[in-house]
Amino acid sequence: MDDREEVKSVLEHLPLVQAPDAIWTSIEAALDEHRSPARRQWQWGFAAVAVSALLVVGYWTVGHRTGQWIETDSKSRTTLRIGEIGFVEIEPGTRVRVPATQPGEHRLTLARGEIRAKISAPPRLFFVDTASGTAIDLGCEYTLSDDELGLGLLQVTKGWVSFQWKGVESLVPAGASCRTYPKIGPGIPYFDDASQRLKDALGNDAIDVILAESRVRDTLTLWHLLQRVPAEERARVYDRIAALTPVPDGVSRDKALRLDPETLKLWKDELAWKW
Amino acid sequence: MFKLGFAVLSFAALAAWAHPVGFTFTIGNPVASQDFHFKTAAFVFRTESCADPAKAQISATAEGIVKGTRQSVPLRVMAASKPGIFAVNQSWSPEGAWVVILHGICGNESAGAIVPMGPQGFLRESSKFYPRPATDAEIDASLKAMARDIK
Repeated sequence: MDDREEVKSVLEHLPLVQAPDAIWTSIEAALDEHRSPARRQWQWGFAAVAVSALLVVGYWTVGHRTGQWIETDSKSRTTLRIGEIGFVEIEPGTRVRVPATQPGEHRLTLARGEIRAKISAPPRLFFVDTASGTAIDLGCEYTLSDDELGLGLLQVTKGWVSFQWKGVESLVPAGASCRTYPKIGPGIPYFDDASQRLKDALGNDAIDVILAESRVRDTLTLWHLLQRVPAEERARVYDRIAALTPVPDGVSRDKALRLDPETLKLWKDELAWKW
Repeated sequence: MFKLGFAVLSFAALAAWAHPVGFTFTIGNPVASQDFHFKTAAFVFRTESCADPAKAQISATAEGIVKGTRQSVPLRVMAASKPGIFAVNQSWSPEGAWVVILHGICGNESAGAIVPMGPQGFLRESSKFYPRPATDAEIDASLKAMARDIK
């Protein structure tokens, strides 16, 4: 690869960073201040130099940010362009890193703070790593926050997000949220309009309350719960789902209780029509 | 005579058991379609009990009342890559009361649905499904109910 191609390749993977508003305000103020012809030439010269300098600084900054940390203070926010597939807004008080990306994937590391991702692409092109696991875009818009301890919250507004950690996966559709825990991974997702008792019960592993409080839509929660409770509790969860909505053809109680992956997927795909 | 009647009834019951629901629709959130193209859709729907969903003829219209004026907006029905799954986008005014009317033909069967649209999206519980196109009277009644609810 020659230098030009290498630079092009690097640039294609670099995020765009918005210039601070103050820079444009300064330039406009300088241009507006005096309009005499003699000064105008000087001002245009100044503007050209300023813009050139911005381009250089912008490239330098972005170039150095790949693989390095981006941090917003308590009042600033910025936007990263994710290739051609979307944007990530970085909220105040956030620390993220843009690691060197592999072809066919875009990746961010969120150390703390909050990001809002708007991605329009086939699934599994955009990943966000956190202390609790990895958020995998399945064509979606979502907010992901993480505190200093690594405790996080994923809130999905459109599409799906898969949150994974060492084989533990939570599928979070639009309108649902999921807490995340360092060294534990994703919690059980719940719809934002679920009862407060159900949400509280998820934090306390109070299965009786979760089962009693579940509506048809909360089969999202129950489908995940089935895979997380001890084997002897699975039948209660299965029965509650079956009581809320008919079990589709191809899903047998026996296979579901054994957590057969194909059976669970088939069931999830059908239950999703109620979510 | 009694035996013949019993046989007919038994056959009808057996047919109903074997094919419990005629051609109809199921509605759902965009995630149900498993198609990222539909993530911003107003809702998605699928055909049920249609032997050849790829050949089903589906149409949709948004019917609304905006500031007291009745409006009708033909909708583009988008087909998913998986046969029998469709989506509609919101191309009607955000103001007023609206319902989406679905109509489908599969072979010799027909199906209809009225899907009320609330501020937060479609209203599953108050949606209505018919083994025929929804009538004007049914659409008017649903619209009036929607208009009452949003006042």
